[in-house]
Amino acid sequence: MNEGAVFEEGRLGRIAVVRLRPNEDLVTAIETACREHGLRHAIVRSAVGSLVDAVLETGERTVAVPGPGIEILTLSGELRSGTDGGIAADLRGTIADGKAQVYGGRFRRGENPICITLELVLQEWLPA
Amino acid sequence: MRTLVQPGAALQPRRMLEWAAPAGDLRVELSAGQDLLRGLVTALAAREVTHAAVQVLSADIARMAYLTGAEDETGERVATYGAPTWLEGPVVLLGANGILGPGPDGDTLLHCHAVVVDAEGRLHGGHLPPGDCLLGPGGAVALATPLREAAFAAAFDSETNYPLFQPRKIPA
Repeated sequence: MNEGAVFEEGRLGRIAVVRLRPNEDLVTAIETACREHGLRHAIVRSAVGSLVDAVLETGERTVAVPGPGIEILTLSGELRSGTDGGIAADLRGTIADGKAQVYGGRFRRGENPICITLELVLQEWLPA
Repeated sequence: MRTLVQPGAALQPRRMLEWAAPAGDLRVELSAGQDLLRGLVTALAAREVTHAAVQVLSADIARMAYLTGAEDETGERVATYGAPTWLEGPVVLLGANGILGPGPDGDTLLHCHAVVVDAEGRLHGGHLPPGDCLLGPGGAVALATPLREAAFAAAFDSETNYPLFQPRKIPA
C-alpha cells in the first residue's frame, strides 16, 4: 500500500457547457455556476476566453498582469465540494498579455475579471 | 478587482450553463502540411462532429500567427486584437484549448487559444486565426469531446458588441 497516494474511484458524467459574461470573477463565478446547477465535482475539459486583468499565484509570489484583453491560453483544474456543501475551484493555466508576454500560475480567487467572455466546458466527476 | 464598462447594457444571466450528454471522445491525428484549425474542423466534420470541446495535445508547427489583446481605440468595444505576431518554425505547441461550433456566418468555427515555444526557446501564446498555423513534420494530435443536446453556437452579443459563442440547447 502506498500511503503517499489517495485514490478515489469514480467516473466522468454529464458535460456542462458554460459561458461567463464580462466582469464576473473567473474562480468564484465558476464555483457559483456549479452551485446553481447542482454540480458537485467537475474537471475542466476546455476553456477559451479573456480577462480584464489577471492575478496569478506562483508558489510564494503573486504576479499581477495588467490588461485589458488578457488571453487565457490554457486552463486546467477541478472543482470539489466538501462535506459542508461548499464548493472550491482550483484553476491553473497560462495567459498572454497585450505585449505577448506569457505567464502561468494559479488563478487567485476574486481577482480575475472576465473581459469579453469565457467559454468553458466542464465534466462532472462522480465518485463511486 | 477592476471591472470595465461594456458598450451595451449588461445581459442576464451573468453565468450561463446548459447540460450536454456525454459522448465518446475522439482522438484525431493530423498530418504535416495541413492548417491546424482548418484541418481539425474538416476532419471532425467528416465524422459529423460540428460541436465539441477540443484539447490539442501536441503539434509541430512550421509557421504560424497569433493575436493578443489590445485596447480598442474606437471605443466600440472594451478590447480588440492587435496585429498578428508571426513565428517561423520549428514551433512546438505546449497546450491549446478550443471550442468548436457554428460561427456567425453558419460555417463551423474552432475558437482556439494556444501556448507555444519558438525555436529559440521563447514562450508565446494567443488567439489562433484560422488558416495561419501550418503543421510541420510531426503533425498534431487532438482530443475532441463531441457535445450533444447542448453546445456553443455564435450569436451577436449586444453587451460586448461582438459575435460570441453562447451555450444553446441542440434539438435532438
